[in-house]
Amino acid sequence: MQTRPKIIGTAAKRLEDPRLLTGHGSYVDDKTPAGTLHVAFRRSDQSHATILSIDCSEALKMPGVVAVLTARDLEGLVKPVVATSKMRDYHATPIYPLARDKVRYVGEPVVAIVAESRYLAEDALEGIAIEFDTLPNVVDPEQAAAPDAPLLHEDAGTNVIVRREFLRGDVDLAMAAAAIRVNRRFRFHRKTPMAIETRTYLAEYDQGRKSLQLHTTSQIPGIIRDVLTDILDLPTVRVVAPDVGGGFGGKASVYQEEILVCILARKLGRPVKWTGDRLEDLSSTSQGFDEIVEAELGLDEQGRILALTAEVVGDIGAYSIYPWTAGLEPVQVVSFLPGPYRVAHYRGRVRAVATSKPPTGPYRGVGRPTSTFVMERLMDMAAQKLGLDPREIRLLNFVSQEEFPYKTASGIVWDRSGFTECLTSACAAFDYEGQRAAQAVARAAGRWVGIGIASYAELTGIGSRISASPGMPINTGTETATLKIDSTGAVTAAFGVASHGQGLETTLAQVVAEELGARLAAVTIIHGDSAAVPHGTGTYASRSAVLAGGAATLAARALREKVERMSAHLLGVTAAEVMVADGFAFVPGSDKKISFRELAKAVYSEVGRIPAEARESLEETKLYDPFFGTTTCSTHVTQVEIDPETYVIKVQRYQVAEDCGRIINPLIVAGQVHGAVAQGIGAALFEEMVYDEMGQLLTASLVDYLVPTAVEIPSIGVSHLDTESPSTVGGFRGMGEGGTIGAPAAIANAVADALNHLNILIDELPVTPERIFQLIKNKEK
Amino acid sequence: MPSWKKDCPCSRANEFMKPAQFEYLRAASIAEAVAALSAQAGEGKIIAGGQSLVPMLNFRLLKPLLLIDIMGIAELKFLEETPGGGLRIGALTKHHTLETSPLVKRLFPVLSEAMSHVAHLAIRNRGTIGGSLSHADPAAELPLMAVLLDARIRTASPEGGRTIAAADLFVAALTTRLLESEIIVEVELPALAPATGWAFEEVSRRAGDFALAAVGVLLAVEKGKVSSASIAMMGVAETPLRAARAEALIKGRAIDASLLDELVTAVRDACEPNTDLHASADYRRHLVGVLARRAVIAAWKRALGEQP
Repeated sequence: MQTRPKIIGTAAKRLEDPRLLTGHGSYVDDKTPAGTLHVAFRRSDQSHATILSIDCSEALKMPGVVAVLTARDLEGLVKPVVATSKMRDYHATPIYPLARDKVRYVGEPVVAIVAESRYLAEDALEGIAIEFDTLPNVVDPEQAAAPDAPLLHEDAGTNVIVRREFLRGDVDLAMAAAAIRVNRRFRFHRKTPMAIETRTYLAEYDQGRKSLQLHTTSQIPGIIRDVLTDILDLPTVRVVAPDVGGGFGGKASVYQEEILVCILARKLGRPVKWTGDRLEDLSSTSQGFDEIVEAELGLDEQGRILALTAEVVGDIGAYSIYPWTAGLEPVQVVSFLPGPYRVAHYRGRVRAVATSKPPTGPYRGVGRPTSTFVMERLMDMAAQKLGLDPREIRLLNFVSQEEFPYKTASGIVWDRSGFTECLTSACAAFDYEGQRAAQAVARAAGRWVGIGIASYAELTGIGSRISASPGMPINTGTETATLKIDSTGAVTAAFGVASHGQGLETTLAQVVAEELGARLAAVTIIHGDSAAVPHGTGTYASRSAVLAGGAATLAARALREKVERMSAHLLGVTAAEVMVADGFAFVPGSDKKISFRELAKAVYSEVGRIPAEARESLEETKLYDPFFGTTTCSTHVTQVEIDPETYVIKVQRYQVAEDCGRIINPLIVAGQVHGAVAQGIGAALFEEMVYDEMGQLLTASLVDYLVPTAVEIPSIGVSHLDTESPSTVGGFRGMGEGGTIGAPAAIANAVADALNHLNILIDELPVTPERIFQLIKNKEK
Repeated sequence: MPSWKKDCPCSRANEFMKPAQFEYLRAASIAEAVAALSAQAGEGKIIAGGQSLVPMLNFRLLKPLLLIDIMGIAELKFLEETPGGGLRIGALTKHHTLETSPLVKRLFPVLSEAMSHVAHLAIRNRGTIGGSLSHADPAAELPLMAVLLDARIRTASPEGGRTIAAADLFVAALTTRLLESEIIVEVELPALAPATGWAFEEVSRRAGDFALAAVGVLLAVEKGKVSSASIAMMGVAETPLRAARAEALIKGRAIDASLLDELVTAVRDACEPNTDLHASADYRRHLVGVLARRAVIAAWKRALGEQP
C-alpha cells in the first residue's frame, strides 16, 4: 500500500553537515596508514620542450628519499591512458604518468620523488637537474589550428584534435533573407574549477591478495576503478572517494598523479600518498573552458529567429583527457548554442585545438556557460536593434508548450518544460517592470545601472541513449542502487555516485525513506566506493538526483514489497493490507504493528517465524536508465551598477527561476543554485587563468586568480517551478550545474545594458574594470 | 620534561611543511633579536605576524637559515598618545588594533579607516605595523599611511638604532632603507592640526585585495581656504608617493570644480604606475585621479564640519 508523500519535498537539514561542519569529516589527506611514503613532483617549467636529460643523482642522496622516478622507470609498469571516441576526425592523445620525451605544459609532472615525508621529498626536488630543448610555442589556439603550426602531438599530425559540424536547413539562404542580422566574435577566457580541497591520492597495495586500494578525491571512483584495472592489469582494484571537498568538474577525470601513486604502492609495497598543494592545483588540475566563438543571428523584422551560425575554436590544452575527450566542452558549445529557442536553420562548426597549456576538462555547466553567453548576448543585441525589450524577444522565440518534445537544430530533444514559465516567474520575482522604471530614474541621474536576462535549457540526468560526452565509449547512462535492511533493522543504501558537496547523503536518504517507509535519520547512504555496487560512474553532469534517485526509487519500492510480504506473515494478514511508514510495518485501523528491527530479527534470526520457503533476504538492487534524460531550464535576471569613473562593477540584485521537476529538498536546490551562481559571477567578473605568450602561468596563486568571496555575491532569490512532470522515475530533473550556465550571460547582458549609452558591446568574459576602461578608451579614440 | 615532538598534538606536522629548512629562534628581547639577526649576516629573517613572510617561505622565494620570531617581545607591544596628541605605536601593534582602537579613531581616523581595507580579519589579527612597513609592499595601506602621516620610524640595530622619516624609508617595491641587522621598533605619528579633514579612497578587485590604487588625504582649512594639505597615493608607483605638486596647488585656495580638475591632472602626472594582471598603467593613472578627486572633496567637507 502507498503512503502519502511527506519526506521528498521537505527542507530537511543536511544529514552530512554536523559531521562536515564540526571537523569530523574524513578526507583522503586525513588518512595516513603506518609506513606511508610521500610523493613530490618536479614539474615542467617549460611550455613545450624536448627533455634532453634528467639528472636525479643529487636528489637520490638526500635524506629520507626512497626513489626518484622518471618516465623511463615506469616503462612496462603501466599502459597509457587513452580517451577514445567514436567521433570522426578525432585524435586521441595518450597520457603517461610522467612526461615522456617531451613536455607539453608548465606544471606537467616530469619526475616523482618518493620520500619518508612530503617535506623531505620537496627538499629533494632541488637535487634534480633537467635539461630541456625548447620547442616552438603552441599557445594561441587559432595559430595552433593553422596547417603549418608546430605540433604538440606529432602522432596526431595536427593540433586540431576534434572537428565537428551541426547543420540544419539552408542556413545561408535564411541568413541572407534575414531583415536583422547581429554578429560578433566572443571570447570566454580559461578558468579553473578551484575546489577548496586540492587533489589527493593514497594508494595501498595488498601483496598477499594482489589487490590495490586507492583513496582518491574523485567525482568518478567507478570510472577510475575500471581504468586502473585495465592499465595496471590488476585483478582487483577498489577505489574509494571518502569525503571530498568540492569538485566542479576538476575531480572528474583520471589524473597522472592518481595513476602514479598506484604504480608506486605496488612496486614499493608501502602506502604512497600525494597531496596537491594550491600551486599544483592551479597548474595541473583540469581547467575550465577557453572558447572563441564567432556567431551570427538572423531574425525577421518582428524579431523571430531565422538562422544562426557559429564557428567555435576551443582551446583544449595539452591532452584529450580521460574519459571525456577534448570533445566534451567545445562540441557542446555548438550543440547547445540554439538554446531554448526555435531555430530552423543552423550551422555550428567547432574545432578543438591542442595548446601547450594544462588540459581542459569538465567545468560545471560544460559547453553551456559559453553557448548561453553567446546566444543570450546575440538575443539582446538583436532586441536592441529591433527596439524590443529583452524579455519580449525571448518570449517570442521560446519553444512553446505545443511544440514539445522539440528537436533542436543540433539534434537535442527538449521534453516538456517551462521555458516561458521560468522567464515570467523570474521577472515577476525580480519586479522587472519596477526595476526597469528604477533604472530609468537612476540613469537620468547619471548612474550606470543595467539589467540582464539569461534563459537557457540543458539536458540533465542523461541515460544510455546519449553519451555524456560526444562519442565517448563508456556508459554513463545508468546507475545502480543496492538497498538492505540488515539483521538489526538498519537501512543501508549503496550507490555508484560520489557526493562531494551536493548533499546526496540527505537527498538520497529522503528518496529511500519516502519510498521504503523508513525514518530519514535511520537511512545510511554509502557512496563514492567502487566496491559498493557493481557499476557506477559517479557524480557529474547534473545526473545524481535523476539517476541515483531513480535507482533508489525502484529499489526502495521493491524492498518495500518484500517488507510487506514478510510482515504479512508476522502480522497474520495479507501483504496488501500492510502499510510501511516511519520504520514500521502496520495494518491501518488495528494495533498490528512491527518495527523494522523486529521484522529483521524475525527474518534473519528467529528461524521459524516465517515459513522457510517464504523467507526472503531484505535486500534489493536496481539499475536505472533514463534513456534520454530530461530537460532542465531556468531564467536568471540580474541588476548591476557600474561606477562611471572607476568602472567597478557591483552585482546588486539577482533572481533565478528554475524548473528542476519534482524537488527532493528545496534547501539543497537553493544551495546548489546559490553556489553555482556565485561560481558563474566569478566566471563573469573575476576568474581568469592567464598564460603569457611563452605558455607560462601568470595567475599562479590566489592573490592573482580571483575567486569571488561572500562580499562580491549578492543575495540570490530562487523561485522553484515544477511545470511539467518529466519522464524520469521520481519526476526529478538535474540542477547542480545550472547557476554557472545562466550567471555569466545574465551578468554580461546587465553590464552591456549599463554601458548601452556608450555604444559599447560586451563580447569578452570575464569583464573587469580594466576591460571596461579599455573599451571606453578605444571608443573615445 | 617531554620533548616538543612528543607533545605535538599533530603528529603529521612534518608532512605539511613547504618552506626550505630553517632554524627558529624565539627572541625574548629587542637586543636578543638584533644580535641574532646581526650574527646571521643576511641569512636571518625577522618574523612577526608572518602574513607576507610565510607565503614567501612556502613558495621558497625566500630561504633564510634562521627565523627570529619577535612576537614574544613585550617591549614592542604598546600604543599610546604622546603629550602633543600624536601616537607612539609599538612595532608589534596589529592591524586590527589600529582599526578598532578608540585612541586611533579619535586622533587618526584616516588610519582606522584605511586599516579596514587591509586584507581580511584573520590577516588583520596577525599582521603588524612593523612587519608591513618592513615588507614595503607598494600596494599596502600601512606604508601609504606612514607617508601620508609623516610617520617617524624608530629602529634598533647593533649600532643602537635611529629614526627614519617615512618619506625616506621606502626605496622600491619590497625594498626599504633598513639595514641588514636593523629592526623597526616603533612608529611615531606627529599630531594633526585640530579639525583636520581626512579621507581615504581605495579600489581593489575584491574586498580585501591589494589596492589597484588608493589615495589618502589630510586637509586643514582656515577661513575657507586650504591651509595645509597632504595627499598620498599608492598602487601607482614602486613606493607610496606624496603628490607634492597637487598639495602645493590647493594650498591657500578653496576647493572648487576647476581646482579639482587641475588637482587630478597634477596627481596623474605625479605617478608612475606599472601594468600587471589586474590593471594597466593607464587605468591605474586614471583611477588615482578619480580617487584623489573624491578624497579631496570628502576631506574638504570634513574640514568644514560637513558630512562627506
